[in-house]
Amino acid sequence: MNFGYDLDFWYLVQHGRELALGLGWTVAITAIGGAGGAVLGFVGAVVRVERVKGLSLLVAALVEFIRTTPLFVQIFFLYFGLPEIGLDLDALSVACVALVIWGGAYNVENFRAAIESVPQAWRETASALGLRRGQIFWLITRPVALRIAMPSLTNTAIEILKGSALMVAISFPELTDTGINLVAVSFRVFEIFIALAATYLFLAAGLARGMRALESRLAWPG
Amino acid sequence: MQSWVGPVALYMLRGLELTAILAVVCSCASVLLGMLLGSALVAKPPFVRATVRLFVELWRGLPLIVILFAIFFGLPAFGLRLGASAAAGVGLSLWGSAVIADNVRGVIQSIPAGQLEAARALGLSWMKAMLLVILPQAIRRLLPPTLNLVTSLIHGTSLAAQLGALELLESGRRLIQRLLLSVGDGHSLAIFGAVLVVYFCICYPLVLGSRWLERRQQAG
Repeated sequence: MNFGYDLDFWYLVQHGRELALGLGWTVAITAIGGAGGAVLGFVGAVVRVERVKGLSLLVAALVEFIRTTPLFVQIFFLYFGLPEIGLDLDALSVACVALVIWGGAYNVENFRAAIESVPQAWRETASALGLRRGQIFWLITRPVALRIAMPSLTNTAIEILKGSALMVAISFPELTDTGINLVAVSFRVFEIFIALAATYLFLAAGLARGMRALESRLAWPG
Repeated sequence: MQSWVGPVALYMLRGLELTAILAVVCSCASVLLGMLLGSALVAKPPFVRATVRLFVELWRGLPLIVILFAIFFGLPAFGLRLGASAAAGVGLSLWGSAVIADNVRGVIQSIPAGQLEAARALGLSWMKAMLLVILPQAIRRLLPPTLNLVTSLIHGTSLAAQLGALELLESGRRLIQRLLLSVGDGHSLAIFGAVLVVYFCICYPLVLGSRWLERRQQAG
């Protein structure tokens, strides 16, 4: 079958440098978003679980708002809205900040659920053994909760990877933006979208694999 | 209140209309197509299962914006020229149906296999056993994830702005440009902030409803 369109995958090789650069940016902002989001999420979850006065309610409200509004609009708000109050961020900073905050909001809930599912009896046992509150949290609750949270952290990390494609809105040169720009000048629609799709599926699969490997490495015997 | 607020709100209301239409149409299409595909995911012929599985994993694994761009730029090569909102609608529906299909599969598999076997032993055909025994239970459990998907679809409609469809976000974007030309200063913070708040007001009840249903079902 031929729809008057000849597939020419050589085109991708010719523009391999641009695409590789886009891939690099996608990986970079996903890594920053994933790592930053995990740290932010953990801190937020501790604030929520420990019911830190004043902060806890603020974190809860922010998490609800961020999770209930589209990331795409949040990016516009950060990139075009914030400069009006003197916070002028470039596209790379907005990409990172948006993904860290958005991923962080999801991770607050992931970690909170994990912390709350650590058996109460374990904490009581630790307390009976004479551990102080901080020690119980750091030595018992934290390591157990981290392991419980791993599958949901993986899901959020994959969503951050997919969210990184939205940076096309602010012309940040990640993979999707690079691809769209190539489509605009060459009309090589199918070659480019097949390459984009394959790359995202491959990245998501790789991310899931890596996280699972980390999970089994962290797992305690028995 | 400044003088520009009234006309701006009126114009954005028209954008909101397209957002609402897209969200409703795509939700319905996703549920219908997703139920069909989901049933195919638990069907007996391995060929059917594998094909549908591939379809579902493909759409679920891709960033939504890539799907929308691919449909918007790709379909014209097949002689099918869709407008921005139609292309977004097709993309969102395909993506949504894949998500629903996977939920349907999960829910159906969470219903003990003994029930289907018992129904079959009583002489019901596979189709009838599905329709009369499995589906009524499945639909109850499907409600919370489906509400979550509707929320995601509403979020997803904002991506149609990148194709140029005049929905809520795009109406805001155009107004910001117009205000910049006519009044001379930026209103991005106020207008994008308002867009965020509108999305929140629409989606938060859905989120709460989904949580309430989930809690009620866990209580039994």
